[in-house]
Amino acid sequence: MNGIDLVGPQFSVLATAGIVLLVDGLMPGHRRHLPFIALLGLAVSALWTLSWVSRDSFPQKDVFGGTLSLDEYAVFFYFLFAGIGATVVLASIDWVNREGRGQGEYYALLLTTCAGLMFLSAARDLITIFLALELSSIPQYILAGWGKDKRSSEAGLKYLLLGAIASAMLLYGMALLYGVTGTTMLSEISASLQANGEQYRALLVLAMVLLIAGFGFKMAVVPFQMWVPDVYQGAPTPVAAFLSVGSKAAAFAVVTRIFFEGLGADFLSDDWSMIFAIIAAVSMTLGNLMAVVQTDIKRMLGYSSVAQAGTFLIGLAAISVPGERFDLGGSGILLFTASYAFTNLGAFVAIIAISQKIGSDQIRDYAGMWKRSPLLTVGLAFLPGVPHRHPTNSGFWAKIYIFNAGVRADLLWLVVIGVLNSVVSGFYYLSVARQMFLGEAEDEKTISTSPSIAVALGAATLGVLVFGLIPMPLISAAESAVDALRTVS
Amino acid sequence: MPFLAEEAHAAAGTPSIGEPMLWAILVAPLVAWALIAAYGRKFPTIAGYLALAGVGAACLLSYYTLFNVMDADGGIRQYTHEWFSAGSLTVNLGVRVDGLTAVMLVVVTTVSLLVQLYSTGYMDGDHGEGRYFAHMCLFTFSMLGLVLADNLFQIFIFWELVGLCSYLLIGFWFHKPSAAAAAKKAFIVTRIGDLGLLAALLLIFREVPEAAFDIAEIQHWAGGHLEGNVPTTTVVTLFALGIFAGAAGKSAQFPLHVWLPDAMEGPTPVSALIHAATMVAAGVYLVARFFPVFEASGDARDVVAWIGAITAIVAATIALVQTDFKRVMAYSTVSQLGYMMMALGLLGYVAAIFHLFTHAFFKALLFLGSGSVNHSTNTFDMRKMGGLKEFMPITFWTFLIGSLSLAGIFPLAGFWSKDEILLDAWRENRALWVIGLCVAFMTAFYMFRAIFLTFFGTYKGGEPVDHHDEDSHFHGDPAHPHESPWVMTLPLVLLAVPAIAAGWLAYDHMFKDFIEAALPEVHGHGSTFEIGIAISSSVVALAGIGAAYAIYMKKWVTSESIRATFAPFAIIFENKYYLDRLYEDLFVTRIMQGGWNRLLQANDKYVVDGIVNGSGRLAREASSRLRVIQTGQVQGYGLGIVAGILVIVVAVYAANPL
Repeated sequence: MNGIDLVGPQFSVLATAGIVLLVDGLMPGHRRHLPFIALLGLAVSALWTLSWVSRDSFPQKDVFGGTLSLDEYAVFFYFLFAGIGATVVLASIDWVNREGRGQGEYYALLLTTCAGLMFLSAARDLITIFLALELSSIPQYILAGWGKDKRSSEAGLKYLLLGAIASAMLLYGMALLYGVTGTTMLSEISASLQANGEQYRALLVLAMVLLIAGFGFKMAVVPFQMWVPDVYQGAPTPVAAFLSVGSKAAAFAVVTRIFFEGLGADFLSDDWSMIFAIIAAVSMTLGNLMAVVQTDIKRMLGYSSVAQAGTFLIGLAAISVPGERFDLGGSGILLFTASYAFTNLGAFVAIIAISQKIGSDQIRDYAGMWKRSPLLTVGLAFLPGVPHRHPTNSGFWAKIYIFNAGVRADLLWLVVIGVLNSVVSGFYYLSVARQMFLGEAEDEKTISTSPSIAVALGAATLGVLVFGLIPMPLISAAESAVDALRTVS
Repeated sequence: MPFLAEEAHAAAGTPSIGEPMLWAILVAPLVAWALIAAYGRKFPTIAGYLALAGVGAACLLSYYTLFNVMDADGGIRQYTHEWFSAGSLTVNLGVRVDGLTAVMLVVVTTVSLLVQLYSTGYMDGDHGEGRYFAHMCLFTFSMLGLVLADNLFQIFIFWELVGLCSYLLIGFWFHKPSAAAAAKKAFIVTRIGDLGLLAALLLIFREVPEAAFDIAEIQHWAGGHLEGNVPTTTVVTLFALGIFAGAAGKSAQFPLHVWLPDAMEGPTPVSALIHAATMVAAGVYLVARFFPVFEASGDARDVVAWIGAITAIVAATIALVQTDFKRVMAYSTVSQLGYMMMALGLLGYVAAIFHLFTHAFFKALLFLGSGSVNHSTNTFDMRKMGGLKEFMPITFWTFLIGSLSLAGIFPLAGFWSKDEILLDAWRENRALWVIGLCVAFMTAFYMFRAIFLTFFGTYKGGEPVDHHDEDSHFHGDPAHPHESPWVMTLPLVLLAVPAIAAGWLAYDHMFKDFIEAALPEVHGHGSTFEIGIAISSSVVALAGIGAAYAIYMKKWVTSESIRATFAPFAIIFENKYYLDRLYEDLFVTRIMQGGWNRLLQANDKYVVDGIVNGSGRLAREASSRLRVIQTGQVQGYGLGIVAGILVIVVAVYAANPL
């Protein structure tokens, strides 16, 4: 084999992107089938991955000269991105049809960015990481500006310009790291730093902060979060949904790998642990407090996603030392990305369906939604809000893991801030829920849901519930992923 | 389980009850809930019958369980399954039954069954009838899950669920703004307490992960019997205070009691079931469940005792001046819950549970009685009632029995349980005993004040029906009050039986031995009755009734002149010690809406939307120059990124010099 099977999951998605473009160009009569071709491609990707997992035999751990790692960690995210991609495709169908142009390009770009994210979660080499990041980012810039209105163009342009700045910072950080260690491979960087890195600490701190800035942009944490509300509000809602879960999850995947595997040296890990802890505290607090006063639901979710990212970061702050803390914190991050993906996708899908009908994203226009569409109300009011604080939701387990990791890493202050913040977040989700259940609707017309939206919402809800009640499969997948990451380094 | 509580308790046997039976208690109301949720909209009339069937089945099984546990002298039976386990985190799913659980099961299902029966009359014709019974079944299920749980984690799950049901039911008539506000208040205030419970949960996970949150294991650990893991007093105290914080939220203890009186906005049967008999007692149950933890920490016990006593006296004084019939009952509930907490803080495990047990019956009776009065007069305002004795004899006589029981008159149920608490106070802390006596006096006084105002004198006409209010489901004519239908009076009569007789279970330490077997070790007091205490409390209660008689029946002294004499106190009581105003004005209005929101909005407007400066904002208003602010904003954001990097780098260098 020439090794193409090793990146089969990515290539099946990329190939599907090509097929989608071809069908779009050559067989215009079949355009309505495009989303299903895209779904098929994602399914092939997931099945390909499953074939490795089910036999418990990965073809090779290190592929392409060690630039990619094919382990349980990467695979966890392959599944996640295939799932996110599929849900977003389903959620996009109505919107894209209504928009009525460039269907082929839309799905092709969506698939390309999915492939980019998969590469990102497997990459163990700085250059590969950068390439994968750009492969996933460039389609996102275009997608964010896909809508016909000015706001969407504005969102796309903003995202592009700021993304470029973030990429530049990231590249600068990588260059510095290369300058100190003379290599771009994470494992070699780690070895080099352990051996004689301490003398370059000043330079390394700068490199580290630049890396954090570059990825912080994608993770959407303070102070690199400012684009979030504008872009979420302006971008087409399915794209905003994708940005809020997909690129955020990938950023966490790669940051966890870089910092744990590459920059785990003692003289650095205390520094980045503290940086992450402070960013976490600020992001959670600022994100939640800003979310409370929003009147636009997409802006509210935007700020809420900043706060959520802050919670993820508690896990990152805790993993600076190998051992139990790492296991707990790492699994916590993975659990959180997965459960967060379900809940946020569910919420966004519901918003897509509602705003298509009522033509507004204002929270006050959601009053009395319960009478108009119980399904959508449950999706929006209960998925992200109430259950996150209830044990029958997978997010609860993620939080238990992350908070516990924080407590063990002597970051009790941070955990206390996290717990207080989860109260605040309950408050604004509750106020949305109250509007929807108890508010008086101006117009009592039922909002019908198209089958694709219903399937997407159903899948997200099912994911939340199933992994909440039976969290074991998800927890053990996360733990074996983290195990793989630890043994590599 | 590595540790089995019965080892420590040779005297009590092991109940023979099988596991399916225990789960069935839980499942029955759940099935009813599911059926009502599925078909309630189509066939609203069957909702009530389904609820009765589901709760009735649970009730029968609960009595079976009680007798089974009685055969084993209150011993413990536990069935535990691993739910999942990951690393150091193990979570179990199980049921545990012992004397305490059995008593709670019987209380919850009996009261719930009678309340559902009553509701079929009270809620008849309300257009949300299906939703109502669905919520009530869900509540019953959650409450049963709470008492059957064998580990703290499971308790937490159901703890949150009962809170949710309470929220839904308080706001049941959500078109009333006051009901929606009350629901929100209840949710937020109890949430504050729940933080403590969550902290306790995390603390257990950190300190004894091997316990897997198991109740018996935690009791064992707190008692210092776990080899290789003997906790310090500080840790135990922290855990106990966390538990108590959760309990204080649910059981409306000072200063978190403010939500309970507002919760009376819900339908009256809801108040009877949730906010008088069961859910609010869950806090007391929780503290009792972890009683060995409190035994191990004197500091925590002091906190519990004093908070309980303060709650009891604060609520009782407020109850003295209420004009709303139902609010009198609400403050009385807060006060009695304080009594129970005080007992727990004074090592009076048995007395507290005994009072919980008797209180559930007579207080549910009193609430249902007030609902019956409302059903006929369309009001809760006592100034519009009077003379109802003639029109509603069954309601009157049962209400009188409930009041006498609450006042602690021999030989009714409340007399026995209240006396046990006062006896414990006498032994442990004389200051608290004096407070207890004062509360007993006030309790008798405000209950009979309510009775004289409502049932005696001349009828003042009730509240006229507003025929324009389409949501009102009031049927009768308030000008001509009438006795309620039998579905409502039958529960009153049935509840009057335990309100009279439940206290007799104290005979020969029956109740005491039964529920003490649930504890790993018993350090309690010996006798549960002392004639001196009994006489003193009876004298005080009779004095309270006499004072109410003198003022409100004979009018030897007018209530106005008393109010004038004690004006400063009356004003404080009438304003509920200004606590609501403090919370609402200071925290909600000033800080949240005034300060924070303005600050945040300003930040969003000026800092985030246009970090550059005001020129950006001007430009936004002129839409032709839209492009200008876009670039301006992006520059600002880019600047933010670079500034962020600089700040972090400098901070790291400063914190950890090179």
